[in-house]
Amino acid sequence: MRTVALVLLALGACSAPGPEPLTVFCGAASRPALDRAAAEFEEATGVPVELVYGGSGTVLSQMRLAERGDVYLPSSPDFMERAVATGQVLPETRATLAWLVPGLVVPEGNPAGVRSLADLGRPGLRVGIGNPETVVLGQYTVELLAHNGLLDATMPNVVGFGASCSSVTDMAAMGSVDAVISWRVVERWNQARLDLVELEPGQVPRVSWIPVAVSSHSARPELAQRFVDWLRSPAGQQAYAEAGYATSVEQALQWAPGAVVGGDVVSPEGWLEAMQGRGARP
Amino acid sequence: MNRLFQVVVVGTTALLAAALLALVAGLITELVRHSAMQPPDLREVLFAVRLSLLTATSSSVLAVALALPVAYLLSRYRFPGKALLDTLLDLPIVLSPIALGALLLIFFRTPPGRAIEALVGPVVFEVKGIVLAQLAVVIGLAIRLLKATFDGIDPEFEHLARTLGYDRVRVMRRVLLPMAAPGLVATLLLVWGRALGEFGATMMLAGATTMKTETLSVAIHLNFEAADITSAMIFIAVLLGVSFGVLLAVRRLHGHRV
Repeated sequence: MRTVALVLLALGACSAPGPEPLTVFCGAASRPALDRAAAEFEEATGVPVELVYGGSGTVLSQMRLAERGDVYLPSSPDFMERAVATGQVLPETRATLAWLVPGLVVPEGNPAGVRSLADLGRPGLRVGIGNPETVVLGQYTVELLAHNGLLDATMPNVVGFGASCSSVTDMAAMGSVDAVISWRVVERWNQARLDLVELEPGQVPRVSWIPVAVSSHSARPELAQRFVDWLRSPAGQQAYAEAGYATSVEQALQWAPGAVVGGDVVSPEGWLEAMQGRGARP
Repeated sequence: MNRLFQVVVVGTTALLAAALLALVAGLITELVRHSAMQPPDLREVLFAVRLSLLTATSSSVLAVALALPVAYLLSRYRFPGKALLDTLLDLPIVLSPIALGALLLIFFRTPPGRAIEALVGPVVFEVKGIVLAQLAVVIGLAIRLLKATFDGIDPEFEHLARTLGYDRVRVMRRVLLPMAAPGLVATLLLVWGRALGEFGATMMLAGATTMKTETLSVAIHLNFEAADITSAMIFIAVLLGVSFGVLLAVRRLHGHRV
């Protein structure tokens, strides 16, 4: 009994008092920029920010199930649409923080010698992509491959799906595959282990973006809005820019000339059949 | 035939030990080959170690304390509906940790859940949430292991002590618990180890918040999320080292009986 009391005492001791922190539910794609921006916000305002990271869908589920949280910051606009549709965020507070451009990423040193998108169809190459049914990155990837007429050639080489842009990136960073299609910014997360293979102009059909909004569960929406404004301010934008994100549409389009910004992904049929080597349906 | 028996027993053990050592060797080679370009902040590592040790120890001690009376009941008594209760108590073992975490998260939205939070302070996305998540994951295991321990002790000893004038509490303290001590310590070790490595339920209920609910397992996850393989490997090495050290120390204290 004494042990239990001691344990409870120890637990009580670790919840330190202080100003109520803001809780931000964030997708993993923002981590390097957000860690810095949140620390700077805390320094400037004295309001601590707690960043709860995870897959954009997982953290949305957490926010919804727990009915708390101040800001939602997923990695792609489709999750923001879901958050709006289910009443988890205040729609009028939506803003865009950065743009995401698909990129061809290989393990450091490019051991398989992948020089272009067309190389992904080379027999025997091991390729990783995002799950086209669950991750926006996967949908963008399938569309990108189809746009370049490479879906049937590449899909049989796909050895695995990642459940998020980070897990796709980890496949390359750990050298488990020869190449992945992820967001090009991920190469900046770990330059010691990753290299970027530049795509040709016109090869990227669509770019995505990182949205943010105030949670409808927030007890202090004004303060939450202040954090969103901070991320949109030059200081917040600098954190994103220096972490390698495109902070303007112009910059995103410089990396992906001719691409469409957002919108509904044109999901080609038959990617699964192509992956299983049965050829795409007509 | 005896020789073959010996070869199988020793050979299998050696093979399994070699396989585990190979995993550790792989980790070390990886760490040597890619020296971290940005090693994780020492403060963050120490925080994760401290939080992991604190939460795993709290939850495993709580789990064993709660499991003791339940295991005793299941081992020593027969009553209607016992099979049903037994199966109900097995549920935490079969449920995946992420499912358990989600159930806990939903529970704290209900009036009883809110009342508990009003009473003991916030649990969801807090350190208390880690302890609760770990407790939920290991409690079934603790009950199962302690019940097996009690089952292995002949109730005659307790009956005898009762006829000699001990009351139930004294029988428990002076007869049953001393006889169950090795099983108790073994249970505590296993449960502690399972709690230390717990991730799914913790992430769901307590969230993966840097420097707040960042246990070693959460830190490993967070670093993979940032594609920082080397830092993840460093945290894996720390988790390995800490658990190996603690388990070995407890075993030595107990004279290799567990």
